[in-house]
Amino acid sequence: MTVVELTQSLNIAAPELALAVGSMVLLMIGVFAPKDSANSTVTGLAVALLIGVLGWMVFFDEQGTAFGGAFVQDAFAYFFKILTLVGSIVALVMSVGFAREEKFDRFEFPILIILATLGMMLMISATSLLSLYMALELQSLALYVIAAINRDSARSTEAGLKYFVLGALSSGMMLYGISLVYGFTGHVGFTEIAAALTGQERSVGLLFGLAFLLTGLAFKISAVPFHMWTPDVYEGAPTPVTAFFAAAPKMAAMAMLVRVVTDAFGTVTGDWQQIIIFISIASMALGAVAAIGQNNIKRLMAYSSIGHMGYALVGLAAGTVAGVQGVLVYMAIYLAMTLGTFAFILAMRRKDEGNVESINDLAGYAQNNPLQATVLTILMFSLAGIPPLAGFWGKWYVFLAAVEAGLYPLAIIGVVASVVGAFYYLRIIKIMWFDEPESKFVSAAGELRLVMGLSGIFVVGFIVFGGPIAAYAENAAKALF
Amino acid sequence: MLLTGLGAAFFYLFAFVAIASAVMVISARNPVHSVLYLILTFFNAAALFILTGAEFLGMILLVVYIGAVAVLFLFVVMMLDVDFASMKRGALDYAPIGAMVGIVLASELLIVLGAQFIGVGQPGSVASPTPDPLTRTNTAALGDIIYTDYIFFFQIAGMVLLVAMIGAIVLTLRPTRPGVKRQNMGKQVARKVEDSIDVVDVETGKGL
Amino acid sequence: MFEDYIFPGLIILLQSVALLVALLVFTAFILYADRKVWAAVMSRRGPNVVGPFGLLQSFADLLKFVIKEPIIPSGSNKGIFLLAPLISSALALAGWAVIPVSEGWAIASINVGILFVFAVSSLEVYGVIMAGWASNSKYPFLGALRSAAQMVSYEVSIGFVIVTVLLCVGSLNMTDIVLSQKDGLGTHLGLTNSLLDWHWLGLFPMFVIFFISALAETNRPPFDLVEAESELVAGHMIEYSSTPYLLFMLGEYIAILLMCALTVILFLGGWLPPLDIAPFNWIPGVFWFIFKLCMVFFMFAMVKTIVPRYRYDQLMRLGWKVFLPISLFMVIATAAFLKFTGLA
Repeated sequence: MTVVELTQSLNIAAPELALAVGSMVLLMIGVFAPKDSANSTVTGLAVALLIGVLGWMVFFDEQGTAFGGAFVQDAFAYFFKILTLVGSIVALVMSVGFAREEKFDRFEFPILIILATLGMMLMISATSLLSLYMALELQSLALYVIAAINRDSARSTEAGLKYFVLGALSSGMMLYGISLVYGFTGHVGFTEIAAALTGQERSVGLLFGLAFLLTGLAFKISAVPFHMWTPDVYEGAPTPVTAFFAAAPKMAAMAMLVRVVTDAFGTVTGDWQQIIIFISIASMALGAVAAIGQNNIKRLMAYSSIGHMGYALVGLAAGTVAGVQGVLVYMAIYLAMTLGTFAFILAMRRKDEGNVESINDLAGYAQNNPLQATVLTILMFSLAGIPPLAGFWGKWYVFLAAVEAGLYPLAIIGVVASVVGAFYYLRIIKIMWFDEPESKFVSAAGELRLVMGLSGIFVVGFIVFGGPIAAYAENAAKALF
Repeated sequence: MLLTGLGAAFFYLFAFVAIASAVMVISARNPVHSVLYLILTFFNAAALFILTGAEFLGMILLVVYIGAVAVLFLFVVMMLDVDFASMKRGALDYAPIGAMVGIVLASELLIVLGAQFIGVGQPGSVASPTPDPLTRTNTAALGDIIYTDYIFFFQIAGMVLLVAMIGAIVLTLRPTRPGVKRQNMGKQVARKVEDSIDVVDVETGKGL
Repeated sequence: MFEDYIFPGLIILLQSVALLVALLVFTAFILYADRKVWAAVMSRRGPNVVGPFGLLQSFADLLKFVIKEPIIPSGSNKGIFLLAPLISSALALAGWAVIPVSEGWAIASINVGILFVFAVSSLEVYGVIMAGWASNSKYPFLGALRSAAQMVSYEVSIGFVIVTVLLCVGSLNMTDIVLSQKDGLGTHLGLTNSLLDWHWLGLFPMFVIFFISALAETNRPPFDLVEAESELVAGHMIEYSSTPYLLFMLGEYIAILLMCALTVILFLGGWLPPLDIAPFNWIPGVFWFIFKLCMVFFMFAMVKTIVPRYRYDQLMRLGWKVFLPISLFMVIATAAFLKFTGLA
């Protein structure tokens, strides 16, 4: 690689570069700042850095491949990177109040968020199995630490440990898959793999490799049957961390999954389609059924996110531009709904008890705070997929793509699952509006109310501005085909 | 490259010891012995690297894995005082699952090997061969590409290690307890005689 | 068969035995020298009974250790207990295989010679750890704990020091490292092939760091916390007696000599004469090598006599907070210097 190529590559990867350098600068600031203000200084600067990078991504459109084909910046990457950055920024902003109340003031937390975000952005842009794996490890390692960051809480530590052990196992399986794919195609680059796969008879070994690769990826988006860690980790980790886990990493992992199967294995659609269909059905079913018995709202959100990943995969299973477009739209809507819901969960705070997590604590929310209860109700309706809210449109796009691709059973199962799944969202609404009031929550912090409001507006207004988003998503999806 | 003569003899020696000690890692009763056998396995792996001409990798394996990582590993095992005998008692219950996973992985390896010999699904292209060891040492050959073609991966690896370092510190460093006195080197060195000793003329019988 | 394998094999064997014998005899006198220097600074006489001026003292000690009964504690882990001193001394000796004492005078002149020595010195920690654990007693174990942390910590800065030297040399071969010191700062100043060309001048901070780290790496005073007699009696060697103890002592001193030899090769021009003029370049390189080795060892011995022992936290602070940043910075600075001046 010549110096000129390297400079061009760095230019293309400027947002990632800014995050990498910025995280190190922030680390230095955190170490040398006065101890009592280190956390707030670093958090503020971290948010500023992330917003700066987001602005850069929005206003500068520097596309191309870099680093000898290991990294690509295309419309698809832009779409998912913007989602990821939004997820990280909102999660970080929402953590401020929590950190103040719970004495959770480690300046490393925002830095780890930035590093995890860097890993995610690299994952989204990875066009080689090597860079994919390394970016994934960068992201995962940061997430393991973030999950366990509240060392004084046994649950947080347990969550971190559980996530680490299972995550390491899935990484191992994925690596095994990668080595098989490399062994049978002779390449790690996606385009080279795709080229090697055209027109030749595929071996069993390659299928094994593909299956192992998908196993690892399915773990990262917590799709059934590799979802076991999700409820425990969501429940154990501090709530802002859970909000982060439910938002940004899901975007990156889904982007990676989509890119791998369409880019590297786009010529062997039949081989991965059945796996994706199975994972999708299983996730939708489990997400709908298992959430019914949950009383802890974080656990419930965990099952909810498993289900949503299943719906998103319906679009991927279609394997068409429309399908991938559906995935993109679905993920954008999922992000908005999840962040909004977690703003409410973070606001579930009583003066004497601190943060509460039981669904029954929401009883009488409507009497105590009708405005917020209304917004939460709208979010719940949207999560359940009631028209004309955003959640409905997300499902509309993916199911439509599945039907167009001839996957009728998949679409039907999806609709049935969303009807079943609507039950537990409606249960929350029932508890809020019709159960006897409990004591009031303390009034929510300003940043939480902002997030609630924004996600409410997004969910309601999607019918108005959904068109441009869908068009942008279609443009992004075309970059892959 | 097919090894013959002395090279082959050494290969079989190192390979045999490596496998034998790997077996001992899982069958030794004392966990410390297990780790020591693991180290022996590493050592033989390093020797095999050197035998194949990858001398730099072999040495780095010695320095990094055996000289640093395994030392810490050994320490953890020595200090943990875990009763492995009782842990192993239940291990047989998991044998069927373990065997199943093992069979799956082994059959896949066989498929891979089979493809090598039968020629089905051979790689479409072979990665560029390494330069001739006589003209370019493999340390230099590694340096030729790792900072140029593979700079991206090299840098991500650096970031991964940075995260690992931050993580280890975040999870283990607790804030200092109040009341613990610490040495401040700068303060000590900056101390002067004038600051610490007063020379006073004391009159006899009066005191200060 | 004979010409291919047995004959070269025999030659290597003979070379190894010759080096071994020379090294052991040398070590015996180095031990004696160490004690003499120590005694002289303390205004004592030191060993002066056995042989003329006590010169044969080390041999008397050897005999004493060998004919004593080895005691193996009943609670110890016998196999590892006996393996530890063997590993300790065998590794120290193995490092010498790649040391060139004069041009072409190395048993194995391998491409990655410096890495080999570095690897061997990083493995030496195993002797200490295994001894500490196998003794099944708390003082040895504490000593082993300390040594692991200490040796691993100082290896880091030694590694970076070696990297800076390698940046200037461009090869990992020990002979190349020495030969590259024919041309350096001194040549630019007009004194070709002189002691000013050697790396100690150009990389002076690294030379100092390497010397101090070498003390720590070999558990020499003032960093002998592993066997600090005032706290740990004798650290990992408490339970040892007779020949196993002798092997530990032997391993320790040979490792020290190895570090001295490494200092000579990396910074003091190996076997090169200090000035490339008449009386100096008549003397064979091996004598220069031994002379320099003795000088470095003299510095080791003097440090032992005049510097008080470090406290453990001070030791760790020095390694991680002082040496590591400096050596890291020097690696970058040296690389940048070589790049921008076009010397590399």
